[in-house]
Amino acid sequence: MARMAPTIDRERRARVRRTAILCAAVVIAFYLGFILMGVLRA
Amino acid sequence: MASKDLDSTDRLEQLREGEHHGPDSGIKRWLFTTNHKDIGTLYLVFSLLMFFIGGAMAMVIRAELFQPGLQLVEPDFFNQMTTMHALVMIFGAVMPAFVGLANWMIPLMIGAPDMALPRLNNWSFWILPFAFTLLLSTLFLPGGAPAAGWTMYPPLVLQTGNAFPFMIFAIHLMGASSIMGSINIIVTILNLRAPGMTLLKMPLFVWSWLITAYLLIAVMPVLAGAVTMLLTDHYFNTSFFRAAGGGDPVMFQHIFWFFGHPEVYIMILPAFGIISHVIPTFARKPLFGYAAMVYATASIAFLSFIVWSHHMFTVGMPLAGNLFFMFATMLIAVPTGVKVFNWVATMWRGAMTFETPMLFALAFLFLFTIGGFSGLMLAIVPADFQYHDTYFVVAHFHYVLVPGAIFGIMAGVYYWMPKWTGNMYNETLGKLHFWLSAIFVNVLFFPQHFLGLAGMPRRIADYATQFADFNMVSSVGAFAFGASQLIFLYLIYDCVRGGRKATAKVWDRPTGLEWSVPSPAPYHTFETPPDVTYVDTAHGSHGAYH
Repeated sequence: MARMAPTIDRERRARVRRTAILCAAVVIAFYLGFILMGVLRA
Repeated sequence: MASKDLDSTDRLEQLREGEHHGPDSGIKRWLFTTNHKDIGTLYLVFSLLMFFIGGAMAMVIRAELFQPGLQLVEPDFFNQMTTMHALVMIFGAVMPAFVGLANWMIPLMIGAPDMALPRLNNWSFWILPFAFTLLLSTLFLPGGAPAAGWTMYPPLVLQTGNAFPFMIFAIHLMGASSIMGSINIIVTILNLRAPGMTLLKMPLFVWSWLITAYLLIAVMPVLAGAVTMLLTDHYFNTSFFRAAGGGDPVMFQHIFWFFGHPEVYIMILPAFGIISHVIPTFARKPLFGYAAMVYATASIAFLSFIVWSHHMFTVGMPLAGNLFFMFATMLIAVPTGVKVFNWVATMWRGAMTFETPMLFALAFLFLFTIGGFSGLMLAIVPADFQYHDTYFVVAHFHYVLVPGAIFGIMAGVYYWMPKWTGNMYNETLGKLHFWLSAIFVNVLFFPQHFLGLAGMPRRIADYATQFADFNMVSSVGAFAFGASQLIFLYLIYDCVRGGRKATAKVWDRPTGLEWSVPSPAPYHTFETPPDVTYVDTAHGSHGAYH
C-alpha cells in the first residue's frame, strides 16, 4: 500500500489537519446556511 | 524537510512500509492507490469515458435536429438526452479532467511528494463511478432519465418519475467528490510547497486551481442544499419551492445560479492556468504580467459570486436588480481582457512554434474570446429579453465550454502527456485532431448564433422549417467533430503503448519543477523537497534546481 508523504513532519501534519478542518467548516456552513435561508423564507 | 525533523514514530512507520516501494500489481493498484499520479490517471481515464458517453448523447440530439419534424426519438427522450448530456459533460467530463490534471501536476509543480490527504484523494475519485452508475442507470428505469434540464427548475423537475431520487443522490455524490478533491488541493497547496516556493512564485496552473478550489468549497454545498430542498419538497411535503404550499420556485433559481455561475468559472479557470503554461513555452518567452494574471483570476472568481441573476433577467426582478447584475457581469470583461492581453503580449515577438498544445492554446484564445463576447451581448438586459432561452445561449456557452474548457484540457493533455507516459505522441495525428476539431467546432456552434437570433428556442426536439438549413449545417459539424475525437482516443492509446522516448524537459526549455524529473515521472517524486529559493518558477528563469 502506498502511504502518506514520507517526509512530512508532525508540525506540518497538524497544519494540514487545521486547514482541512477549516475548509470542511466552510462547506458545512454554506450547506446549512442556504437550507436555513430556505426555511426562513418558506 | 530533512529526515532529522521526523519523530521516531514516523520513522518506524516508514521503515515498516518500505522506503522505495512501487505500485501494487493488478486491479489492487487502482482500487487502493493513494498515489497522486495513479489517481490523476484514474480521473483522466474516467473523464475520457464520460466525454464519449456525453458526446454520444449530443450525437442523438444533433441527429434528431438534423431535419425539422420528429425522426429518431420521442420528445421526452430528447429532453432526457439534453439533461443527461449536460450533467455528464459538466460533472463527469470537464470537472474530473481538471481534477485529474490537478492531481498529476500540482504536487510536481510545487515540489510536494504527494497530495496532502492521499486516502481522501482515493475516496474522492472512487465516489464518481458510483455516482455516474446511479445517474446513467436512470436511462433504464420506467419513465426514463431526468428530463427537466440540468438546471432542475421546479416545479417541472418535481414531475420527474423514478429517476428523481437517483438524480438527487448522484448529484450529492458528485458534490461530495468535488468538495473532498478541492479540500485536498487547498491543503496541499497551502502546506506542502517546496522550501522557497512563495505564493507569488507558484506556477499559474497551481494558482488557478487554488482559486477554483475555493470556489468549489463555497458553491458545491449550495447546490447540495438546493437539491436537498428539492428532495424534501418531493418526498416530505415541504414547500421550499412549491407555490401551492407557500414556497417560491424563483428562490430555487436564485440558489441554483448562486452555485451555477461560479460553476462556469470552475470549468474555465483551470484552463486559463494551462494556457498560461503552454503559450510561454511555445513562444519561448516568460509569461507577460504574472502578478496581473493572478489578480485577474482572483477578481474573476470574486465577481463570479455577484452576477448569478444574469441567468434570470426575464423572471421579473426589479429594474435596480437587473441593472446591478448587468453591470457586474460586464465588469468581468475587465480581468478577462487583462488575461487575453497578457497571453497575446507573451507571444509578441516570441520565437513561436506550433506544436499541437500550442495550436489548441491559440484556438482557445480566439474561440473562447468569441464565447466571451457573446456573453457580453447576453449581459445586456434589454437584449437578453430577446436572446433568453434561444439557441444563441446554447451557442454562447458551448463556445466557452468546448473550444474554451475542452480545448484547454486538450492543450494540457498534449503538453504533459510525454511527461506522464515517457513517450512523445504522434504529432501528425495530433495536428490532424486539432485541425478537424477546430474547423468542425465552428461548423457545429457558429450557426447556432444565427438560429438563436432568429428566435429558435433551446431544448426542443422539433422546430419551424425556417430553421432547417442552419440546423443541418450544425448537425454535420457535430458528426464530424464527434468523429474527429476518435483520433484523440487512438492517439492516447498509441502514446501510452510506445513511441519516440521523451526527454525530461520534453519541450524546448519549458519552465517549472515538473520538467526537472525524468519522463515518465517516477512513481514517487520529490520525497526530498527541492529547494527553489533561487529559482524563478513562475516567471520563467531557467536556472538549475537544487
